[in-house]
Amino acid sequence: MFLGRVIGEVWATRKVADLEGHRLLVVEALDAGNEPAAPMVTPVVAADPLGAGVGEEVLVAFGKAARVACGGDGDYALEAAVVGIVDAHDLRTGGGA
Amino acid sequence: MLVGTVVGNVWASVKDPTLQGLRMLVVQPFTMGKETAETIVAVDPLGAGVGERVLVVFGRAARHCIGKGHDVGFQTAVSAIIDRMDLVDGRTIGPVEEEDT
Repeated sequence: MFLGRVIGEVWATRKVADLEGHRLLVVEALDAGNEPAAPMVTPVVAADPLGAGVGEEVLVAFGKAARVACGGDGDYALEAAVVGIVDAHDLRTGGGA
Repeated sequence: MLVGTVVGNVWASVKDPTLQGLRMLVVQPFTMGKETAETIVAVDPLGAGVGERVLVVFGRAARHCIGKGHDVGFQTAVSAIIDRMDLVDGRTIGPVEEEDT
């Protein structure tokens, strides 16, 4: 599970049936300084049952937690989902020690 | 899940019996900055071609995509072929690199 910021949205017509009707967001992890992590890091694509907007900070869960959040169970073709839209946090800015 | 570009195919004659008949692709993950050297091998039930942008899933979700309800000896799969990805920095990532704007 991680804290990230929504940086985009993905559309696909040809996909496995389980992904039908799921909104897919591109989420970039935030580092301790509340900045996007290193640009080398691959952004995560997460299904979004909550309706988060681009630019919002979200909580992303993986694995079965993500499948349950999207109404599936163990056998479901996704493994990352937005499970919370962050109102506020008190991450210390500046990063490092 | 992540977005990547198909950069090649893999063939293997000697493999786990559960992998018979499955097509394997080499996928390079999308990054916001510098291109990554890392690649992923993913089984593709959809028929993506080299150069196409795809969505890759991992673990049990991937086995569900490719195993049709059975357990298979692989943990990465293509679950969608991307039409378009809009990014907050103004870029639009197309189905292939030539259509990026």
